[in-house]
Amino acid sequence: MAGTIDCSFIRTLINRYCAGEENWVDSRTIYVGHKEPPPGAEAYIPQKYPDNRIVSSKYTFWNFIPKNLFEQFRRIANFYFLIIFLVQLIIDTPTSPVTSGLPLFFVIAVTAIKQGYEDWLRHKADNAMNQCPVHFIQHGKLVRKQSRNLRVGDIVMVNDGETFPCDLIFLSSSREDGTCYVTTASLDGESSHKTYYAVQETKGFQTEEDIDSLHATIECEQPQPDLYKFVGRVHVYQERNDPIVRSLGSENLLLRGASLKNTEKIFGVAIYTGMETKMALNYQSKSQKRSVVEKSMNAFLIVYLCILISKALINTVLKYVWQSDPFRDEPWFNQKTEAERQRNLFLRAFTDFLAFMVLFNYIIPVSMYVTVEMQKFLGSYFITWDEDMFDEETGEGPLVNTSDLNEELGQVEYIFTDKTGTLTENNMEFIECCIEGNVYVPHVICNGQILPDSGGIDMIDSSPGVSGKEREELFFRALCLCHTVQVKDDGFVDGAKKSPDSSRSCIYISSSPDEVALVEGVQRLGFTYLRLKDNYMELLNRDNDIERYELLEILTFDSVRRRMSVIVRSATGDIYLFCKGADSSIFPRVTEGKVDQIRSRVEHNAVEGLRTLCVAYKKLSQEEYDEVCELLHTARVALQEREKKLGEAYDHIETNLILLGATAVEDRLQEKAADTIEALQKAGIKVWVLTGDKMETAAATCYACKLFRRNTQVLELTTKKIEEQSLHDVLFELSKTVLRHSGSMTRDSFSGLSADMQDFGLIIDGAALSLIMKPRQTGSSGNYREIFLEICRNCSAVLCCRMAPLQKAQIVKLIKLSKEHPITLAIGDGANDVSMILEAHVGIGVIGKEGRQAARNSDYAIPKFKHLKKMLLVHGHFYYIRISELVQYFFYKNVCFIFPQFLYQFFCGFSQQPLYDTAYLTLYNISFTSLPILMYSLMEQHVTSDMLKRDPSLYRDIAKNALLRWRVFIYWTFLGVFDALVFFFGAYLLLENMAVTINGQVFGNWTFGTLVFTVLVFTVTLKLALDTHYWTWINHFVIWGSLIFYIVFSLLWGGIIWPFLSYQRMYFVFIQMLSSGPVWMCIILLIIISLLPDIIKKILCRQLWPTATERTQKIMKHKPTVEAVATCDGPLLEGSLTASEA
Amino acid sequence: MKMKNNSQGLPSRMPDNTAFRQQRLPAWSPYLTAWAVLPGFFTTGAFFLSMGILLILSAKSVKEIEITYTDICSDCSKLRENASNFYKECTCSVPFFIPEKMPNVENCAPFQRASNEIPIAPCGAIANSMFNDTILLSYYPNSTTRINVPLLSSEITWWTDKHVKFQNPESRNLSSAFAGTAKPLYWTKPVYQLDQENPENNGFLNNDFIVWMRVAALPTFKNLYRRIHRIGHFADGLPAGDYSFDISYNFPVTIFKGKKGVVLSTVTWSGGKSFFLGGAYTVTGAMTWLAAFSMTAIHLKLKKTISFQSLKLAKVKAKVERDKRRDVFRTSNTWVRTTGRDCRD
Repeated sequence: MAGTIDCSFIRTLINRYCAGEENWVDSRTIYVGHKEPPPGAEAYIPQKYPDNRIVSSKYTFWNFIPKNLFEQFRRIANFYFLIIFLVQLIIDTPTSPVTSGLPLFFVIAVTAIKQGYEDWLRHKADNAMNQCPVHFIQHGKLVRKQSRNLRVGDIVMVNDGETFPCDLIFLSSSREDGTCYVTTASLDGESSHKTYYAVQETKGFQTEEDIDSLHATIECEQPQPDLYKFVGRVHVYQERNDPIVRSLGSENLLLRGASLKNTEKIFGVAIYTGMETKMALNYQSKSQKRSVVEKSMNAFLIVYLCILISKALINTVLKYVWQSDPFRDEPWFNQKTEAERQRNLFLRAFTDFLAFMVLFNYIIPVSMYVTVEMQKFLGSYFITWDEDMFDEETGEGPLVNTSDLNEELGQVEYIFTDKTGTLTENNMEFIECCIEGNVYVPHVICNGQILPDSGGIDMIDSSPGVSGKEREELFFRALCLCHTVQVKDDGFVDGAKKSPDSSRSCIYISSSPDEVALVEGVQRLGFTYLRLKDNYMELLNRDNDIERYELLEILTFDSVRRRMSVIVRSATGDIYLFCKGADSSIFPRVTEGKVDQIRSRVEHNAVEGLRTLCVAYKKLSQEEYDEVCELLHTARVALQEREKKLGEAYDHIETNLILLGATAVEDRLQEKAADTIEALQKAGIKVWVLTGDKMETAAATCYACKLFRRNTQVLELTTKKIEEQSLHDVLFELSKTVLRHSGSMTRDSFSGLSADMQDFGLIIDGAALSLIMKPRQTGSSGNYREIFLEICRNCSAVLCCRMAPLQKAQIVKLIKLSKEHPITLAIGDGANDVSMILEAHVGIGVIGKEGRQAARNSDYAIPKFKHLKKMLLVHGHFYYIRISELVQYFFYKNVCFIFPQFLYQFFCGFSQQPLYDTAYLTLYNISFTSLPILMYSLMEQHVTSDMLKRDPSLYRDIAKNALLRWRVFIYWTFLGVFDALVFFFGAYLLLENMAVTINGQVFGNWTFGTLVFTVLVFTVTLKLALDTHYWTWINHFVIWGSLIFYIVFSLLWGGIIWPFLSYQRMYFVFIQMLSSGPVWMCIILLIIISLLPDIIKKILCRQLWPTATERTQKIMKHKPTVEAVATCDGPLLEGSLTASEA
Repeated sequence: MKMKNNSQGLPSRMPDNTAFRQQRLPAWSPYLTAWAVLPGFFTTGAFFLSMGILLILSAKSVKEIEITYTDICSDCSKLRENASNFYKECTCSVPFFIPEKMPNVENCAPFQRASNEIPIAPCGAIANSMFNDTILLSYYPNSTTRINVPLLSSEITWWTDKHVKFQNPESRNLSSAFAGTAKPLYWTKPVYQLDQENPENNGFLNNDFIVWMRVAALPTFKNLYRRIHRIGHFADGLPAGDYSFDISYNFPVTIFKGKKGVVLSTVTWSGGKSFFLGGAYTVTGAMTWLAAFSMTAIHLKLKKTISFQSLKLAKVKAKVERDKRRDVFRTSNTWVRTTGRDCRD
């Protein structure tokens, strides 16, 4: 969050400073090599650009202290303690400012050290990046300088393997065709080599001298964070001629962070530098998410604040009531001075109120926030360390991008998952193709799996005929040509080294796995795509001849059009347009071909769960092609709304196609996807699949991964159905079906899983969803949203298909804001899932094949979908248990701590006499009781992780923030009050009316306070010990260590006359206290009495209403041999019942 | 896993497989089940009961006589109510009878400076309000003889207070050491005249002063005044008979509706006469046993019901038992409340 503020702050500052409010412009003009344009050219407004320094750090050496303090005190809790501290400094309060100043200082210091360390790491990374050498051209010579000194307009040379120091416009390359290969692995995780193109007019400038003579200006948009969007224009000035204008797109823009591959060197001109590079703009993290636990924590805090204020008020009022008797106000031994008598009554009362506030302020646990923060920060390491979530195949482990949401993982009620790449492998395999109704199956061993023999399916038509044969070859050629696949060739520098024979073993790389599958599949059918060289695509046909096609245009793929096209010129001079895309986007544009046969085949395949694509073509005459070129050029040169114009141009071009056929590609389910989904459903989580895929394909996947079971009644809410009936009718009908059933179900809903019961699955598509979401003019017949939500709530699984990325986020938001406010989790792997990942309470990215964008924007990233199971059921469960105990315990121990202090005021004439010594007040929260709870909140495992994994229903025990409900909170608070009463009145009764030493000597008020405090420290620590279910040596060490530390500290504190103290009130108090037998007896008694009710409550609850967790604990206790059968992954609920019978 | 990884020599981000990192440290997992806790409950109960009885018996053996003399010396009390009379002498005599033999048992403002800016020694409100009645105990073996009971003021303070914490300024003559200081406002004599006969008991080292400076925690309190010197008649403590206190009544209490008195008491290993500890131990022990018995009962019953596999029945029983448990809570609370009576004055 702070990063965001910082970046945007810096940016606005830069903008203000450089451009000023009024001459802020949409575009910037860059003089290549800092050469002024010739006089005739347009006048540009000069702008100032930042240097190439990357600043990801938040602080500098000088501003660290003020800025960090400022940031920390913006937190309400810290600010509150600061105010208390200041009040203590200003007015005469009963406790010294040290008592709240020291803990506050401790908390602030710990946080500052943590943040300082993180910032130091960032500084180091920044420095390494800013100081790395860069080659750039100055007066025709190559000069080295540090990266941070780079300016906009500098011409930079980058060698093979180096990363680009800033965003560059690609001017020329050592390759003759003016291309270079780039890998953007560190930007978006795609390791494939992408081709970038130099500006046509400048690709000839290949040496330092040449490039220095280039005279050009570049006009481009102001920096924006989208990595894949860029529009610009270059003017190249030539002597006497008019300047040549060329459009620039993202294919000309080399991004900082990407690195050059397979290319000797390139020249480029810097256009965005430093914090304005796209990479830096992408640093900004997303808005901060807050967990439910934090929300309840804040609610509890407010309750305690109210308690605090009412305590102080009560005491102030009572004080003045008590003092209304003059002899109490001014007893003979304590008469006031004249000045005191003169003071305004109201002012005195207010000062007293503040003094009481100070006296009781410890009820707000000062160290809770820092403990929670440390717990989250340290605890998140257990996720990254978990070897079960490590994927050996890819060498990736889980990533934690934010540790704020650890416990939220234990609270998930809805999971929204993407299909492709998340539920499925995104490892495509070509299954079949259908050309004009004839089905072809490549019967070759592939990926170690033998494909089913093609004999079963309706095989190749016996006599395809001549035209059929032609179409067939055209289809294969179309598949060979219509793609953006690259051929990876290791050690390949120049085309000469490579012989065509080795092509069989070449590796295809593409950002879309479908394309690779298609090209590989068609290779098995006899057509091999070799490479793209000098704008010619080469392929090897069935007769082992090389065919060359000139690549004229690529109409790139986008998710709106859902199709792509290429325009090629064959050796014979014919111009073809090949188009490939989703059936829904191809069929409407087709005018010829066996549409019906292909459509039926496509639908058949979709039901099988295969991904289908249709292929079409058209032949273009030279005139038509020229027209197309013109259309594309105007669209591409446009500076404004280029995307839209291009889209329109594409739409216009891709018409009147002739349908060739369709392909089917299988996307296999990820391993254990079904098992994971089953477990999650058993855990009471509703799983929704949101996909852009076709309904049939998606439904098939849902069945495969057991989201829909055989007895699931699938309800459909699709465009097709809505066309038949009105949306209104469909919705009401569905809700009637669902509700009738659920009405009969509620009675025995306790009986657990609906394994043998009728459950519902809902399928809805994007169009129907947008109809539902559309706000209606008249609210007469109720809100569709509510009805829709009602239906969804009663469905065990929902499948949303044909979803646009934004619609995914919409769905998540709809559920998130519905009246139960369920906790949502979104999981996905692609860029199209980012919006929902950001929207959901917890966003999880699958580190997948479609790049790293999802993983980067997520809160947690995991290598495989199956890891979600451990993430939620084990880690989420643990973290939730841990942090809820942490929060409750913190409030409890502070009630125990401060309530006796409150009671004591009734016995000291409301004189604000503190009960405890300063040292105890100060150290209680920061050293006597801090470590055990921190360690507990890191280590606690109430059930083993194996058990949690095996029995997902345990997750239901903590659903709906079960451990932080108000009832539980009130229980803890009352327990605290009860314990405080026991401490105080126990000590009171002991010391009230008797000498407790064998020689009749007496104890004073400090002994009283120390006695209460000793019982307090022991009780509070032992209470935690009672709650600990996982005693490692660390727990033993900190729990017993804390108690021993308390004793040793007290002995020392009272054992010496401390020269720096102005009072010696604690001198020998502790030791004298322990020399009395009755005090020992009393300490033991009071500890036992305070712990007893809690123990009895626990045992009785466990006996009478055991939760699933407790039953499991019992089994573990009685049957440690269960470990032996740990291999069976089935639920152990039945097992647990039989075990408890025994 | 790690072995396999290493043997293949794969470079990976595979985390170290330590028990700590995998959250698999060997651990002891106790659960508070009835069976595990019941023995503990029974033992605790037994221990508490026996301790309680022991404590009650020992408290019973303590002999204690309390004489409140505020009302008996009402003339003096009235005199002291007026501040102008603080320096007038007032003594009163309190006769009483011992029925049986008693065996043996900081920041100073606004009291920093006097009105003429001379520093006060000892300073502070506590020192200012020091208890200054003197009490003499006399024994009448017969109606005519009167023997002063020898009282010791030594060892009525903590050894550390007397020998370390409290120290007189170093000087040959105590009065010269305190020269330049004023006596506290309500004191009749300066600090160096508290006990002029015994230099070890004078000035800041005065035992009464040290005892007073150990401020009581609660509004009702007892401070140790004197020990009986066991010589002569009193070698075995105070014999039964007639006694009287001769009290010089200085410390005003009726102004704030207070009371003062003298307590004659013996002490044992468990302190003075108080049944609090003994009672509390006994009650707690009894309650622990009660809880243990009811838990056993529930446990046995539950076992039966579960074997009949009738969960609903168990729930009904559970409700009954829950009510029972509520009662247990209630009694424990009232117990605390009644004993913790209000003692604001």
